This record gives sequence, structure tokens and C-alpha cells, in this order.
Amino acid sequence: MIDYERFTLENGLRVIFHQDVTTPMAVVNTLYDVGARDEAESKTGFAHLFEHLMFGGSINIPDFDAPLQNAGGESNAFTSNDLTNYYNILPKENIETALWLESDRMLSLAFTPKSLEVQRNVVIEEFKQRYLNQPYGDVWLELRPLAYEKHPYKWATIGKNIQHIEEAVMDDVREFFSKHYHPANAILCIAGNFGLAEVKALVEKYYGDIPSKDKQVRILEKEPEQKIFKEKTIYRNVPADAFYFAFKMPERKNPEYYIVDALSDALGREKSSRLFIELKKEKKLCSEIQAYITGNIDEGLLVISGKLNQGVNFDEFEKALWDCIRDFSNFVMSEEEMTKLVNKIRTSKEFQEQGLLNRAMNLCFFELLGDANGINEELEIYQKITVHHIQETAKSILIPSNCSLLRVIAEKNEKNG
Amino acid sequence: MDRKIAPALQSIDAIDFINPKIYDINQNVKLFFMSEVPNETSRVDLYFDAGTIKGEKGTSSFVNGLLLSGNESISSTEISHQMDLLGGFFESGITTEGAVISIYALRENMPALLELVKKSMSEMTCTEKEVQELVQDRKQKFQVNLQKTRFLAQRAFQHNLFYSHQDYAKVVEEDYYENVKSSDLRQFFSNNYLNGLTKIAVVGNFSQDYIDEIIDLFGEWVKEGKCEYAKDFKNRVGLHAVKKEDAMQSAIRVGKILFNKTHPDYNDFLILNTIIGDYFGSRLMANIREDKGFTYGIGSMVAEFNNFGYFMIATEVGKEFKEETIKEIKFELNKLQTELVPKEELDLIKNYLLGQLLKSADGPYSMMDLYLSAEIHGLGLDFYNESIKSIQEITPERIQELAVKYLSWEDMTIVTAG
Repeated sequence: MIDYERFTLENGLRVIFHQDVTTPMAVVNTLYDVGARDEAESKTGFAHLFEHLMFGGSINIPDFDAPLQNAGGESNAFTSNDLTNYYNILPKENIETALWLESDRMLSLAFTPKSLEVQRNVVIEEFKQRYLNQPYGDVWLELRPLAYEKHPYKWATIGKNIQHIEEAVMDDVREFFSKHYHPANAILCIAGNFGLAEVKALVEKYYGDIPSKDKQVRILEKEPEQKIFKEKTIYRNVPADAFYFAFKMPERKNPEYYIVDALSDALGREKSSRLFIELKKEKKLCSEIQAYITGNIDEGLLVISGKLNQGVNFDEFEKALWDCIRDFSNFVMSEEEMTKLVNKIRTSKEFQEQGLLNRAMNLCFFELLGDANGINEELEIYQKITVHHIQETAKSILIPSNCSLLRVIAEKNEKNG
Repeated sequence: MDRKIAPALQSIDAIDFINPKIYDINQNVKLFFMSEVPNETSRVDLYFDAGTIKGEKGTSSFVNGLLLSGNESISSTEISHQMDLLGGFFESGITTEGAVISIYALRENMPALLELVKKSMSEMTCTEKEVQELVQDRKQKFQVNLQKTRFLAQRAFQHNLFYSHQDYAKVVEEDYYENVKSSDLRQFFSNNYLNGLTKIAVVGNFSQDYIDEIIDLFGEWVKEGKCEYAKDFKNRVGLHAVKKEDAMQSAIRVGKILFNKTHPDYNDFLILNTIIGDYFGSRLMANIREDKGFTYGIGSMVAEFNNFGYFMIATEVGKEFKEETIKEIKFELNKLQTELVPKEELDLIKNYLLGQLLKSADGPYSMMDLYLSAEIHGLGLDFYNESIKSIQEITPERIQELAVKYLSWEDMTIVTAG
């Protein structure tokens, strides 16, 4: 059970306070309700580029990192398709430094041309390092537009291509800030050994005078229901053939979301999972195979991915995979298998919540979904899933007409073979 | 409120370091136990004298991947199934000088999990089927790695850094995956695991009695006699370039053989290392990322071994920036030798490092790891009180003295890949 208190400032900033008396550290976590899904299709990668610019100095403070380091702290951030999250960890005595810095960059950025120019280059190098200069690095750049036709999940957080980042100009930066970075679009969590009154006073002091703006209503293109099996084959200079089966799944708030999560574990989380045993251990068709969900707020994906063994062709593998999926959907799993999934989830959750930062980030995330208390209800939801739920959901989701398949063929093998 | 004025700061004067309880299993092998855990999580680590310097051509690494591979009557799948049913997580890892397995679980399940690990490993036979599968998987992973400039650079760096000692300098080659003999693996497993346990670390809210049970359970695996490790290393200096035609980025490594926590200059050097590349505002980050935008990241580190250590700078940059980046790294090291670090910068680093040390001691898991990283060198937690003193007392002159002593460009091994 994670305890917390909640309050909202007059300007619309939602605040969560989580007390932990055992730690000398404090966390200040800020979640902004903006991600790559809020970008225009002609300017992708912007939410993430913007995250970099948030460290380039704010209206009253020329440098973000140095004052925080001087307070013994450190900071970082991440952007996803759904949201942008900034965190600071520092000795609790110096928490005001983090509030001072975070509140000033919520008030306004410095918008220096040098910062934009440099961070454009840094992000281009990040693009190369993560997506282009790695074997299989670009598969998500290919898989997203295959799986999604309308919804902005069709582009990756880093952007569709490097050109979009190169073309970003200061006017875009200002507009993005004005639209998405204000109190009503943020959730703040403070965690550490403090009292509620103290936290309220501190938050009021630093955030109370930030002008309020109306929260934008998010209108995204709805992804049409998929009706046919989609496939694409790409050729790359990689050592082994690889596969990515992506099945559409319900949005985060749908009760079926949790069932699909458990179902993906049953298929391919551990070495005792269905696909691992049947396709790798028994039939020896692939060298690795895993199943997981993308965890998105809107309609996400359940992905089965892995690499083929040398000498195995896609036809043979795909037939075996669909057979395995059919068995999984046709025969209800044992209670023991269900127990196994839930036990694993329970251990993961306990370890995840061990860390103060994780607790703070998750509280913000559940508040974004609608209620911070979701963090305390999750385990029970998993525990209530039955073997029949799993079977019904498998039958409706794990079908070819709900699937997009990306094949990566190793060019060298082609030539040699 | 004037937003231009920073809030007042408090500096950290002392940190509560907490010792684990220590149990002697034999003369050299100990169990360390940290019991103050405010939740139901627990972790048990078993350390073995089974690093890559032991055994030929990848033997140590293959064996490390086979620990739960079972035998003719109990399959690896069955073992995984039982492990998962108890909600447990098993990790095994290997370094140059040692191997470690970690079991993560809720406290209530740990006894059954440890029984399972003990039984499975005791009866493991390196079956032909499991060995062949592992070798094939590893070979494919190796081929994927060969496509990464980061991997190529690290491999070549290690080779040249440890050049004076071939058992440390050897790098994985394609022929590691041919003609692997199960009998060699079994022999290694018996010598280095079933008779190679060097340390146990337990974090979790367990009773004293249960710790005794753990000792009884794994006691028969302890290594008799001391572990021996090499010393007096010398890196092969100069530039070594690895070619990779189609790369968009080049990976760069710059470094040299250095010392570990037992050396009187260690604590002070760690502060110098921070200035160079071990925090977001470091000299290298400020110059090569935040000023020039050549890279997504650049950092430096000090790695420790039993009898020595090494210093390394690592980055991946756009291939057109390779030469200029090396020039800038050289420039930054030289600047630290010739110019005093401004007081403001050093004060910031002092505060930052004290905050980081406080964080490293926060919670039972961090505290255990902090303790063990001193214990491996025969040092106690007082080492970290010395670190605090070193941070508080260091001067710009001392930083310059260390830079002159240890950061000459002529002593560096420089590797590029891509």
C-alpha cells in the first residue's frame, strides 16, 4: 500500500505528496500531459526535442543542472508517445532548489537560439545511436506505420525521420511551450520525509503565482478498426532473420488491458512461457522469442518478436507460431499457469515500488489516468483475472486480421543461401 | 519572492553507513546479511571464483549460461517453471575475475527458491542438447554484437588495455563457438562453482536461524584456499582503429591502467574523474555534447579489479566528428594539467558527490552494494568516511597534481571503431 495526499492549486496544478520517513533523499517528479501523440504529422519528434530544451535554462535561471548538482542532486527526463516526465533526486534538506528550478521552467523557458541549435544536433546523434547505427535499430520506425494508419502512434517518439528534427525552429518551440507547459497540464509529485503542511506551503510558494491556462482538449485521429492481416518484409545487413508480430490491444483504461498484459506474459515473458517452450525449446525454430505489450494509454500493441535459427524459413516458423496461438486460444490454461503469472507480477511490483523515484513516477502516471490510487488497486485486478478471461481475450485478439507482421531478412543469408 | 535568487543550501557533513552482519563460513568465505528491509522484497547473491580469466575459449561464459539447464531427468524448462511458480527471478552474470548469481523474490518464497537453485545446480550435467542450443544462441548474439561499433570498440580497448596479461586481454572470437566440449564445461562447473563459492550476500527481513540454514545449504560449495589474481598491468598505448564500413557513428575509448580503492590517490582521483566525465555537467559533456552537439553522451569512469583498476572515457559520435572529438578529449585532459579548476566548479562537484554518496547509502540494497565494493578490497565502511573527508578537503592544486601524474596523453590507449 502506497500512501499519498492530493491537493490542487488555484492555477490548476495537481499535486501528490508521498511520505517516506526512511529515506534521506527527496524526489520531485513532474509529469506533463504531452507526448509524441500530440505532434503534428509534419513536425514529429518535437515533444522529445522539447524535453532536451527544458534543460537549456529558464526565464530567471540560466542553467538547470548546475544549481541542482550544487544541491547534491541529479535530474533526468523521458518522453514517450503519451507523456513527458521530469525528475529530480536530491538530499531532502535541499528540496527547495528542485522546486525553484522546476517551477521556473514551468513559468517560462529562456528560448536561447544556441540551446536549440545544439540540442537539435544532440538529438540527431541520439537518433543515429539508438535507431540507425544498431542492428535491428530501425524496426520500430517500420513497424509503427505498418500497424497504425491514422493514430499518431504511427510515428516513434524520436520522430519519423531526421529531417523533422533538423527543420525545428524557435517559433515551434515557443508555440509548443505555450500550448503544453502550464500548471493545468502538469502533475507534480513530492516524495520524501516531509509533512503535508510543509509540502503545501512549499508548493504554494514556488508554483502558486504561475499563471493558469486552460487545458487543451486532446482530439486525436481515431485508428480505424483493423480488418485485414498486414505484412511487410524489409532487407537489412543483419546476421539473423527477425520477426515482429504486432496485435492491436485495448487502451489503458479498458479492463481488458490487464488481461492482455497477463496474456502476453503467458505467451512469452519467461523461459517457462508457451512460445519459448514450443518454438524455441521443442521445435528449435528460433533462437529467441518474447511477448510484451507497449503499455500505451490509447490502443496499444501486443508484440511477439524474436530471431529465427539459421536455416529456418519464415513459412515454417509462421505456421508453427499460428498453430501455437490457436492451441492457446482453444484450450483453457491450467489454474497453475495462472497462479504462476500472478506470482511473477506480484514480485515485480514489490521490487518496482521499492524505489522512491518509481513510487513518485507511478503516482503521477496513475493520476494522469484518472486516479493516483490506481497504483494500489492494480495487483487486485491481476488477481481477479481468470483462465476464462485469458482464453476469451486470446480468441478476440490473437487473430491474423488483428495482426501486422514485420519481417527483417538478413541480406547476407540471402546471398549465401 | 525573487526567482533569480537560489534557495539556501545545506551541505552534508556526515552519512550513516550501516554495516551488514558478518558470518564466517570458512577462513576466507563469509556471508553478509542486511536485515533492515521495510518491505517484503529480498535478494540473495552467490559469488563464485568463475570469471573469464578461468578456463579456455569462453568456457566460463558458457557454464555461466547453463547453471539452471538441468539434466536428463529434469529439464531447464521444468526448473524455470518451478522458479516462476514461486514468483522468483534468477540472474547470472560474469566479469573478468568472478561470477555472481542473484535470486530476487518475496521473502516468503526465498527458502523454496534457494532449495530449488541448490538442487538444480548440484544435479546439473551440461546435457548435449542444452550445450548445443546455448552455443548456437550465443553465436548469433555475438554476430549481432559484431555489427555494433560500441561492442567493437570495447573489445579492442580491453585487448590493448590488458595487453601485458593475455588471460585478461583475450577477447571473444568466432572460434569460441566451434568444438565446445561438454566434458570441459562439466569440469569447469565442478571446479569453479561446486567448489568455488567465495561469498554470500543476503538482503531481506529474515531470521537469524534462516541465515544459518542458508550457510548449511550452500556451505559445501565453498572454495578452499585463497583466490589468486594478476597484478602489474601495463596497457598498450597509442591509437588502435577498428574499421566498420557502413557505420554512421564511431565509438571511441580512451584510457589507461590505474588503481583501485586500496591506493592512497583513489578517493581524490575519483573527484578528478567526476570533473572529467562522470556527471551531466562534466568537462567532456559540456564541451562535446552541450557546446558542439557531436554526441548523445560522453562519460568517464574508474573500473576496479582485485589488484588494479583502469580509467576510461567512452562515447559514440557522428563519424564526421571522430577526429575532432579525440582532439577535444586531449584538449580537456591537457587543460586539467595546466590550469587550476575554478573554485566554483570544484565546490559544485563537492556538493554533488556528497549528495551522490548519500544516495548510494540509501536503503538496504544500495547499502549492501556500497559495503561490498569496499569489502572486496579488504576495506570497511570507514573507507567512505575517508571519501567524505577527501571530498571536503580537496583543493584545485591537488586536482592539478593528480592530472599531471595520471593523465598524460602519451600513456593512453585510444581505440576507435567505425
